[in-house]
Amino acid sequence: MFNPYRALTPQQARTLGGAGMAAVLLAWALLSGTGLVSPVKLPAPWDVAGALVQLSWDAQRGTSPLLVATLWSCGRVLAAGLLVIGLGVPLGVAMGASPRINAVLSPLIDPFRSAPLVAVLPILVMWLGIGEAMKVAFLFLGAVVYLVPMVRDAVRAVPHTFYTSAVDLGATDLEAVRLAVLPMAMPRIADAVTVGVSVMWTYITVAEYVNAEKGLGQLIQNSRRFSAMDQVFAGIFVIIALALISHTLMVALRRRLYAWETS
Amino acid sequence: MTVSISLVDIVQEYPDPAGGVNRVVDGLNLAIDAPRLMMLLGPSGCGKSTILRMMGGVRPHGVQTPTSGEVQIDGVPCHGPHDDAVMVFQQYANRPDLTVWDNVAFPFRLTLWRDRFTKAEREQRVTEILDAVGLSDQAALHPHQLSGGQNQRVALARALVLRPRILLMDEPFGALDAQTREEMQHLLGALHRDQPCAIVFVTHDVTEALLLGDRVVVLSAGPAKVVDDFALSEARPRSRAWQQSTEVQALEERILGHLHAADGRGQVRVSV
Repeated sequence: MFNPYRALTPQQARTLGGAGMAAVLLAWALLSGTGLVSPVKLPAPWDVAGALVQLSWDAQRGTSPLLVATLWSCGRVLAAGLLVIGLGVPLGVAMGASPRINAVLSPLIDPFRSAPLVAVLPILVMWLGIGEAMKVAFLFLGAVVYLVPMVRDAVRAVPHTFYTSAVDLGATDLEAVRLAVLPMAMPRIADAVTVGVSVMWTYITVAEYVNAEKGLGQLIQNSRRFSAMDQVFAGIFVIIALALISHTLMVALRRRLYAWETS
Repeated sequence: MTVSISLVDIVQEYPDPAGGVNRVVDGLNLAIDAPRLMMLLGPSGCGKSTILRMMGGVRPHGVQTPTSGEVQIDGVPCHGPHDDAVMVFQQYANRPDLTVWDNVAFPFRLTLWRDRFTKAEREQRVTEILDAVGLSDQAALHPHQLSGGQNQRVALARALVLRPRILLMDEPFGALDAQTREEMQHLLGALHRDQPCAIVFVTHDVTEALLLGDRVVVLSAGPAKVVDDFALSEARPRSRAWQQSTEVQALEERILGHLHAADGRGQVRVSV
């Protein structure tokens, strides 16, 4: 039972994983189906499934509220994600490659990993208003404080032989970082981006609370206001599913791009 | 191809954990003035790698090398990395993400070398050196698909593709099994014959030193100083009979005597 090195066959892993999910679903169905917990607090699984179907097509307006909300949320995560890659990754690389830059920036960035970023939201609202800029900035901040230290550590984790060997062959220090250290750090930098995107999915509802007009966060928020618990659950499931899909895609992409790393 | 390397009054000190100063090299003088294979032999930890890095101008993390004294290449004091010497490390330093070809061609991606050659020249050099180390058929493979000996061949090819005047080797074959090590020793002899350059080869293997060296310099440990320095004129590859001759056996005994007398702390190896 307790042997961390014993490998499971994929079949075993699937069976056990499926069993765990089935057990939770069963307990959930029992609790809500028998009326032990009131549907106001815990909607039944079939009610949540019904809400999903209901949300996915609004016949009156001829649109899909769920799809529209999903696209808005995805767009915001994508915009913030591009910002994180464009600004956060170079910053982390610079910190990892230069102890001086790190010494300047690390006290400014590292503490924010444990800062209550939700409390920063009102400040962002004051600075950037209640529109898209505020939402994307909030997602960006939430992810970048995790990503930058991870990218820095990825660069530092590269064995120094690659740097030394490149310098010995005649590389300038910048060349050694760019041509020898950075390529070696890329797989772990890709991991950092993956974590960053996961963090953004956890913050998306908070970002969309303010001036909730569109997006999955707004959908959840509005449903809660009308005590439509089944729709709240449906919204949460969609976010989890999206986070899972984006995670799987990014892991697959990383495996493709950096095939040498696992071998 | 002429070359001269002079170590003048080299002193190297490292701060030790107790807060004092640990002097690993104390007033070392050594002159190399021919494109020959020089073996630098000494017990492990005697500072021979430090001396080798000084010649390459590569500094360990945050340490001024040397503390005092001077390394001169052709009479010119050398501070920091220079174009004349290339190092080969025991850990290969091969890039796992690049093919054998790209690993060997890597130096040409650096601005220092890129513009000195045309594309055709660069490709010709890579082709030639891969052929010389016997990796022509493996050019498209990645390092993880190669054996340890083949990986060391890649590292050797990457250094020699620049045709350096000085090749610095830090226990390059130390991690290889006995049979592969022997193959690599023969290969190095052949490469040196075809493309002579001054090779400084650090080892703690007495047999290896006698098998390869045109000149053998024996260092003692703590602090390092030269305790023996002699030439070997026997042509390579050197036969087993020569290795087992009484003179060579006597030399081996003499070196071992030095190493044991100098300090019991270090370790030496005699391979058969």
